[in-house]
Amino acid sequence: MSQSNVYSQCCRYHGQRVRITCDDGRVHIGEITRVSRNMVWIRPDNNLGGYGLGFFGDGFGFGGFRFGFGIALGAITAIVLASAFFW
Amino acid sequence: MSNAYLDLLAYFGIGGAHPGGFNLTQSILEDVNIQPIHSVLDIGCGTGQTAAFLANRFNCKVTAIDNHPVMLKKAQERSKNSEASFQVFERDVQNLNFMDNSFDFIISESVIIFTQISKTLNELSRVLNSNGCLIIIEMTAEQNLSEELQRKVCSLYGIHEILSEEEWILRLREVGFSQIEIINTPAELPQSEINDINQSININKDFYDLWEEHNHFIHHYRHLIGYRAFKCQLNEK
Repeated sequence: MSQSNVYSQCCRYHGQRVRITCDDGRVHIGEITRVSRNMVWIRPDNNLGGYGLGFFGDGFGFGGFRFGFGIALGAITAIVLASAFFW
Repeated sequence: MSNAYLDLLAYFGIGGAHPGGFNLTQSILEDVNIQPIHSVLDIGCGTGQTAAFLANRFNCKVTAIDNHPVMLKKAQERSKNSEASFQVFERDVQNLNFMDNSFDFIISESVIIFTQISKTLNELSRVLNSNGCLIIIEMTAEQNLSEELQRKVCSLYGIHEILSEEEWILRLREVGFSQIEIINTPAELPQSEINDINQSININKDFYDLWEEHNHFIHHYRHLIGYRAFKCQLNEK
C-alpha cells in the first residue's frame, strides 16, 4: 500500500478497532487514537500488545503514551477493520 | 460474472467471511460425524480456511472449489502450507463437472445466495451421495422485504433474489431434499473477528468504499436480513 493510501485509510478508521499488518509480518490490533502524516497510534486491545515491538521507521515509535502505541505509516502493509459483518 | 462484493472478499482475503464466521463453521462440522472415509466438497471455498480445517481435523478427502481467480490462488497457497492438503479446483457451482453421487458431505458457506439458487441446488443434489448431507449457511430474509429493499440488497451484493426461511426450504425440497433441519444459530447477524486474512497488495480505494457501504447497509437492515444454517438430506431415514 502506498503511504498516502495508508494515511487515508487510517483517517477513515479513526476511532475504530483495526488490524494492522507491518512489513516485518507483525500484526497490531487496537483502536486508532491519532493519525499524523507519518504515524498512526493505536490503543492495543491488550495493554502489553505494543511493548517492545514499537520502534519503527523514524525511531520515535512511542509517540507519547497518551495516544497508545505508534506505528510508522511506511511500515504498514495492510490495514482492515478488526471485526466486521459478512455475508 | 463479476461481483464487486466477492472481489472485496477476495482481495482482502478474509477467511470465515460468512455469517457466524469460522466459529459457526467449526461448531457445525464438529457435530455432523465426518469420518476419514468421507469425501467432502467445499463450494465457494474462498481462501480455503474451512477446507484446511476439514482436512486437518477429520482427515477426510476434501475437494475445494471456487470460481474467483484470486480466491483460488490463496486457497492453493493455503493447501500447500497446510499439514493435510486438500484439492483446489476452479469450478462453477451451477455447472459442476463431477459425477453424480460423488460426495458424502457438501458445505456451502454463504455461496449459493450469490448464484442462480435453484440451478446450484439442483447441481448439489446431483453430486451429493444419496445418503449424503448438505450443509448451507445462507443469507435469509427475516420478513417480507419491500421491493425497494430487495433491489438494494440485490444490487449491493450482486445477487439475484433473497429468500425467506420458508422459501429456502421450498427450494431445497424442489431438488429432492426431503429431510431439512434448521441448525440453531444466534438470531441476528453477528460480527466476526477478522483473524484469518491474506490481503492482496494495492487494494483499490473503491473496495474500502464498498466495505463502508456494506457496513452501513448491515447497520440499517440487520433486523430485516439475517441468515439460516440448514442441514439437508435427500432420503428419509
